[in-house]
Amino acid sequence: MKFIISRDQILPPLQQIVSVIEKRQTMPILSNVLLQASDEQLVMTGTDTEIQIVAKLNIESISHSGEITVPARKFLDICRLLPNGAEIHFELQDDKVKVVSGRSRFSLSTLPAEHYPEFNESDFEHGFLLNAGKFKKALDKTVFCMANQDVRYYLNGLLLNVSNSKLKLVASDGHRLSIYEDDIGQATGYESRIIMPRKAVQELSRLLDDADAELNIQFSSNNIRIFYKDVVFSSKLIDAKFPDFSKVFNQSFMSPLLIQKQVLRDALTRVAILSNEKYKGVTFDISGDLLKLSTHNPEHDEAEEELIIDYQGEPLSISFNSQYMLDAVSNLDSEMAVLTIAGNASSCFIEEPEQPLFKFIVMPMRM
Amino acid sequence: MEAAPRKIIHIDMDAFYAAVEQRDHPEYRYKPIIVGGKPDSRGVVATCSYEARQFGVHSAMPSAHAYRLCPQAIFVKPRFDVYREASETIRSIFARYCERFEPLSLDEAYLDVSDSELYQGSATLLAKHIKQEIRRQTQLVASAGISYNKFLAKIASDLGKPDGLYLITPEQGPAFVENLAIGKFHGIGRATEQKMYDLGIVTGKDLKQLPLAELQRHFGKAGQHYYNIARGIDPRQVNANRARKSVGIETTFDHDIADQTTILRYLQDLLEKALVRLAEKQMTAYTLTVKIKYQNFVQITRGRTLAEPISDSPTTRLLLTDLLKNTGIGTTKVRLLGVTLSGLENGDSRLRQYRQMDLFDLG
Repeated sequence: MKFIISRDQILPPLQQIVSVIEKRQTMPILSNVLLQASDEQLVMTGTDTEIQIVAKLNIESISHSGEITVPARKFLDICRLLPNGAEIHFELQDDKVKVVSGRSRFSLSTLPAEHYPEFNESDFEHGFLLNAGKFKKALDKTVFCMANQDVRYYLNGLLLNVSNSKLKLVASDGHRLSIYEDDIGQATGYESRIIMPRKAVQELSRLLDDADAELNIQFSSNNIRIFYKDVVFSSKLIDAKFPDFSKVFNQSFMSPLLIQKQVLRDALTRVAILSNEKYKGVTFDISGDLLKLSTHNPEHDEAEEELIIDYQGEPLSISFNSQYMLDAVSNLDSEMAVLTIAGNASSCFIEEPEQPLFKFIVMPMRM
Repeated sequence: MEAAPRKIIHIDMDAFYAAVEQRDHPEYRYKPIIVGGKPDSRGVVATCSYEARQFGVHSAMPSAHAYRLCPQAIFVKPRFDVYREASETIRSIFARYCERFEPLSLDEAYLDVSDSELYQGSATLLAKHIKQEIRRQTQLVASAGISYNKFLAKIASDLGKPDGLYLITPEQGPAFVENLAIGKFHGIGRATEQKMYDLGIVTGKDLKQLPLAELQRHFGKAGQHYYNIARGIDPRQVNANRARKSVGIETTFDHDIADQTTILRYLQDLLEKALVRLAEKQMTAYTLTVKIKYQNFVQITRGRTLAEPISDSPTTRLLLTDLLKNTGIGTTKVRLLGVTLSGLENGDSRLRQYRQMDLFDLG
């Protein structure tokens, strides 16, 4: 196995692959990247057994085809630290890989390619096409609400719901929820709900750096596979049903409250300084055209801010985790924020004023 | 002006559990007594009487090994209720003579008697009196070490044992440490001891030769402490109300277990007991840690911090199952299981300020 490749061509896909590989491995070969060279094509594969990234690179200078695995992080660091534009000569000699560039020479240990684990995928029943930029935005507006290591394991991921030409993404840790809905411009003719695990969602979001690219998304009830430029991203799915969240929509609501997003954000950041470190509670006292934010902590420090709002409803008082509120407000792209509180003060919707594609829901804290 | 040296007493009960057994069972007196696991079990020696120590038996040694060294020893199952009761009596004695005392365990405590005017301010005479009181009220023997800091007081109590009363004065302190073998330093365990030998450090004098920077390079954070103790310096205060940081319970099995359901049941059991102890102390915990020791003595821990207090709820039971994922459970046999609750907060969880509502609890 022998080929020459430029540093700048191999580096981006190698970084994407290493990002998926877990630092602490149970099987040594999982720390390695699989390299397969043949017919003017180099295929690189990395996996943590839950997620797999396969990158295909077209190179002309393959003098001997073959396949081998090398320690991924070390190989990446070598490529990364070589100068821009460097030419990398890669050659398998016995059980060592020689990496040579200019006057730099490296000899890497290897493990045979035939020991590299197979990533099993079932047949893909469904699929649709989507612009990468659009999907990336949908991910960015939802991922921050995913649970992390929650025992309700189905919350440690993202719900992807295709209903004919509608795509809906939902994430929730129970304390807050984010929902993104858009048209995918094609009648798929099916209704399907799958849950992508947290790490896969984060890796995918990192991968989609070209907003103009097209995605081909295929999935079954066990697997998802996404074709993005020269990369194939695969992940296993969480085998569970996402809990029913429709109740939160089916309730009566107070009048909406309108406020300058940046003003609310700045005030929240300031009052949060003196909130309880653990619960981060901030109380919203709403009356007429005034919103009063207040916090206090066990050390008896107190903070208060008064903000001008546009509100026609009854006076009310409600408390939230300030960080959850900040995350939601910060993720709005509009100048104004609309806050709508449910009739019995059981939840708060945060959204943009005009034709929003996404909504955030933050659950209150009770005294 | 330099502050007057402190006066610290370290009280350490002699062979505590074994001594309690010999007190309550006259037939055990003057005989090798081993409190702990049975010789045919896989338990260890908790404490042994001085008669057993002559055979080379010591605490933490596997009981089976102790039996080989001293087959005539009487093996006794620990009675922690009785030990705890004795310990409480001893603590009430401390409380009578000094406001600032820090129990380290059932049988050991530091007393700060710097401000005491009893016995014209003689800490040695006060320590002697406390020893007499302990003997009078519990029929048990304590050793006392008196010095100007915790480190030296503890070394002093060790040196006089049994029934010791040993004083290290501020004048003697530095020279005393110089002549001390490095293995005798409290807080220097076997691993550090070996590392010190490798560096050519055998006594306190050798340790003193090393500059601070080098000690920190070799031993990290502990470097400063080693630098200090080599000079007989130990600024640690006697902490009268040392906050409890965790509550833990563990159990070693008679036979290694492999079955996942059984393991889970044991863990739930341990968790329940830990929660009871926590409730007795009127505290709540946010972190649950599971400890597993496999058949081959390899030990792992898995923990998780929740936003809600740990309770005996279905969620917590799910969490236990979750923590066992990615462990050897099911494939490797287990000899010991433990549960620790930490991230403690005072007070009942119901008295908390705010409660975060959950979307999926909506009725």
